[in-house]
Amino acid sequence: MIEVKDITKKFGRKKVLNGVSFTANKGEITCLIGINGVGKTTVLNAIMNLTPINSGEILIDGNKINKDSYEKITFIPDAITMLPSMKISDAMTFMADFYNAWNQTRADELLSFFKLDANERISSLSKGNTAKVNMLLGLALDVDYLLMDEPFSGIDIFSREQIAEVFTSHLVEDRGVIITTHEINDIEHLIDKAVLLNDGVVLREFNAEEVRETEGKSIIDVMREVYHA
Amino acid sequence: MMSYLKLTNFELSRFFKMYLVLIGITLVMQTLSVVWTANNYLGEINEQLSSGSTVEEAINGWGLFSFDFITRGFWFSAPILLCIASLLIYVFFIWYRDWLGKNTFAYRLFMLPTARLNVFLAKATAIFLMVLGLISIQLVFLTIENELMKMIVPNTFREDLTINEIINGFDYLRVLYPVSFIQFFINYGIGFMAVIVVFTGILFERSFRWKGIILGVLFSGIALIVFFLPILLHETILNHFFYPTELFILMLISGLIVIAGSIWMSNYLLNKKIRV
Repeated sequence: MIEVKDITKKFGRKKVLNGVSFTANKGEITCLIGINGVGKTTVLNAIMNLTPINSGEILIDGNKINKDSYEKITFIPDAITMLPSMKISDAMTFMADFYNAWNQTRADELLSFFKLDANERISSLSKGNTAKVNMLLGLALDVDYLLMDEPFSGIDIFSREQIAEVFTSHLVEDRGVIITTHEINDIEHLIDKAVLLNDGVVLREFNAEEVRETEGKSIIDVMREVYHA
Repeated sequence: MMSYLKLTNFELSRFFKMYLVLIGITLVMQTLSVVWTANNYLGEINEQLSSGSTVEEAINGWGLFSFDFITRGFWFSAPILLCIASLLIYVFFIWYRDWLGKNTFAYRLFMLPTARLNVFLAKATAIFLMVLGLISIQLVFLTIENELMKMIVPNTFREDLTINEIINGFDYLRVLYPVSFIQFFINYGIGFMAVIVVFTGILFERSFRWKGIILGVLFSGIALIVFFLPILLHETILNHFFYPTELFILMLISGLIVIAGSIWMSNYLLNKKIRV
């Protein structure tokens, strides 16, 4: 389980996160929802120790993040994390060199699923294919937790559909997924837990299925209620 | 350890093309410098001979041609300076390129399942190996260029110098190729320490941005004071108290303190403060 406990983060004088707490379980898709600039990416960066927090605590299966945690958890940011001069195959070799968790069979499977050419250079990829390569590099790791930052941002409808398909496949089965997005239409029905963020605070954390059953509301309905209020 | 070696290899391969270009430029410019300087000399000698002078008179007029004629020329030292300048810029670029542009490779580097200090040490090692590589190649070039000069200038008009004599006759080369191992250790040890301190300064900037520049400059200033503290004390308060050997040992210790302090601080910044 990923536990985010009362974290605060300031950039200069601006408090970007102000006591954010939530949990994300293995086998569940947790969605951090909020408009741009509410601190969704900062939360993911903080979980991965890519930005220091001012207070609070983040635990992954009860432990603070350390070098070994990166074999258990991975982050798929919305920017490519490989060198522009690399080919997709070079990027895969790089991952295989450094990660014990790298699963080459799954990587090859994803390569054909996304219809990517391993000889294409990272610098020449379209926005949609960049997102797919990011997904490939993250999903091909045999990790327990996946963090995804805006995987649908700025990409065409066909690429969105292909990426959304990943969430219903065995590729994310049994893994804990935290996804940030402000466009949840494509994956609303897949989300187990939603965390609504605004101005660095959690406005509401709820189980999507429960709300659907007990209140008869979709995540978007709850979002309307919370954000309009 | 494996990750450190892989990262070092990776860092070296990232600069490899640029490195080959630098080596190519050095070889071409210095070879042309040998050919041009030697032919110029021979041209002047031939002119004097054709105007009726004897060989002795020509030599008395122009002197015997030695490799010093070449090393004193702009085209010989320019590529050396270019290599030094490129590596100095690369000390900064080796970090900043991982943050610049839309491809933030820093994300990947800091999510590798290895101690982040390995990234730091791999970059420092890569710079150090590149420097050692360039000076080794320059040594090979010196030998080749010396032989080339002998092929162009006839024996009569030549004063042959050994590689040692060539190096000692030229300021830049004397620094690059110290005569003793101790001097080599001092020159390159100070260079390595400077790289480590600059890296720490860069990490301060990457951690605290604008404030980090001030902190980085402060850190570098403190490192400089700590390193030169034995000499400062020796020259001022202690009134030349130490023997040269004692002073050398104290400088060695202060250098090690600076290196260890920088590595410790960098490790702290990489694990607790760095921002991607």
